[in-house]
Amino acid sequence: MIRLENVSKMYGNETPAVRDASFDVAKGDFVFLVGPSGSGKSTLLRLVNRQERPERGNVWVAGRNINELPNSQIPFLRRTMGNVFQDYKLLANKTVFENVAFALEVIGKPRHLIAQQVPQVLDLVGLAGKEDRFPNQLSGGEQQRVSIARAFVNRPFILLADEPTGNLDPATGEGIMSLLDEINRTGTTVVMATHDHRVVNAMRKRVIQLDRGVIVRDQERGVYE
Amino acid sequence: MIQRVSYALRETLANFRRNVTLSVAAVITSAVSLLLVGTTFLIQRAFDNLLVQWKGDVGMIVFVRPDVQPDALAFIEQTIKSQPNLVKTEEVEYLDKTASYEEAKRVFAGDPTTLSLLSIDTIPTQFKVVPSTTDPELVRSLASQFRGLPGVSGVALAEDEFEVISTLSGFVRTVTIGMSLVLLAVAVILIWNTIRTAIFARRREIEVMKLVGATDWFIRVPFILEGLVQGLVGAIVSCGGLWALNSAWTNGVAGFKAGTGVSALVVPSGYTTGVMVSLLVIGALAGGIGSGVASSKFLDV
Repeated sequence: MIRLENVSKMYGNETPAVRDASFDVAKGDFVFLVGPSGSGKSTLLRLVNRQERPERGNVWVAGRNINELPNSQIPFLRRTMGNVFQDYKLLANKTVFENVAFALEVIGKPRHLIAQQVPQVLDLVGLAGKEDRFPNQLSGGEQQRVSIARAFVNRPFILLADEPTGNLDPATGEGIMSLLDEINRTGTTVVMATHDHRVVNAMRKRVIQLDRGVIVRDQERGVYE
Repeated sequence: MIQRVSYALRETLANFRRNVTLSVAAVITSAVSLLLVGTTFLIQRAFDNLLVQWKGDVGMIVFVRPDVQPDALAFIEQTIKSQPNLVKTEEVEYLDKTASYEEAKRVFAGDPTTLSLLSIDTIPTQFKVVPSTTDPELVRSLASQFRGLPGVSGVALAEDEFEVISTLSGFVRTVTIGMSLVLLAVAVILIWNTIRTAIFARRREIEVMKLVGATDWFIRVPFILEGLVQGLVGAIVSCGGLWALNSAWTNGVAGFKAGTGVSALVVPSGYTTGVMVSLLVIGALAGGIGSGVASSKFLDV
């Protein structure tokens, strides 16, 4: 589903953010990218959704080399993946329902489909009944659930999560993790960047560890260390 | 499709509301500049009416009685053309009754009383003469010679009538065109800046739109529409202003004594409508282009 071949990414002339990274993520995998801040986890995610282009190497998604993708095709690549962030990136002036519906609206989905799919996904993430709340009326965990609902409503092949539990207390973070696990069980490939030991150790999934832009460990059923 | 159109329109309206002061500034500036452009057109047309008789270096007009006999007419033409040293003989032009009447309609556009006294049968025909000499004395003596010919009802000289106006017309044209171009540029810059501000205000939303896979055009269209609407609203306001100005002017001119020449400084309403349509097109284009450039510059992936 995702394949990186000797990928390097620099910002300016400083030391590379990612150096010579290669790995394969199969369909339906759950992968943790771990490492301290600045080790290149977020950059790897941004390379996969084409927010960044590598200086060297190739990134393949669903069998396509996305470096060779013309700009006009990027939106269609992004429709095959959902993104979740540490700061949720919800729109404050829209309700829960509208935030999720927005993702379908801007890719031109018909209204009746939106009316059908949004309640389904809100039910899945456990927010049924809170459709009309605004983000500032929700707890952090609930806001993250809205953001996951928005990422998943279009049933993407891939879910990219950048520190989704970073702003949450441990119990709330656990809830988010079991939600991501549930989504993973539907066949969605999940790649999650984190430096949250507890989460990684509890899940025992594949762990790719980064240190200053270099992959130093790639282990099935790994722990954080 | 309908859903996308309604989305774009809703967003355009929302942007406009979010940004009222800047939008209003952009609209007013484009209205003023377009009003100036329109006024330039009308002033120019009015001067053209005044000068239509003297187009193409015509320096002298020999008017011929409407009841002239053909042999007298031939004699007049022959006499005019017998002065190759003073007259560009190959450029002597004869306007028959139909052509003279058409011209009179423009010359007396603001003087319907005089125009109603003329008809295709009673109008004098005319020879337009381009002198080849620049010596006014020679032209004058030539004019008095032609005046004495049988069948000639009168001779008019350009230098007596409209040379000052001709110069003035050129000056006014340069100044008004220059001013309106500067103002139009200011309007485009203001619209450009409004769009930039709107994009900045919505950067979070745009970021989310990009991440969930909205196409660039989907994101861009509401902004381009916003600029286009600003230009268009400005143009509509300027059309109203132009209409008011022109009717005030036309009414004012009607109060002048007939035959003073000022009466020609009136623009027919068909022409004014044409100018208004051009203003609408210019306004929409300027707004659309300004916002189009801004949205592609500030929305890069």
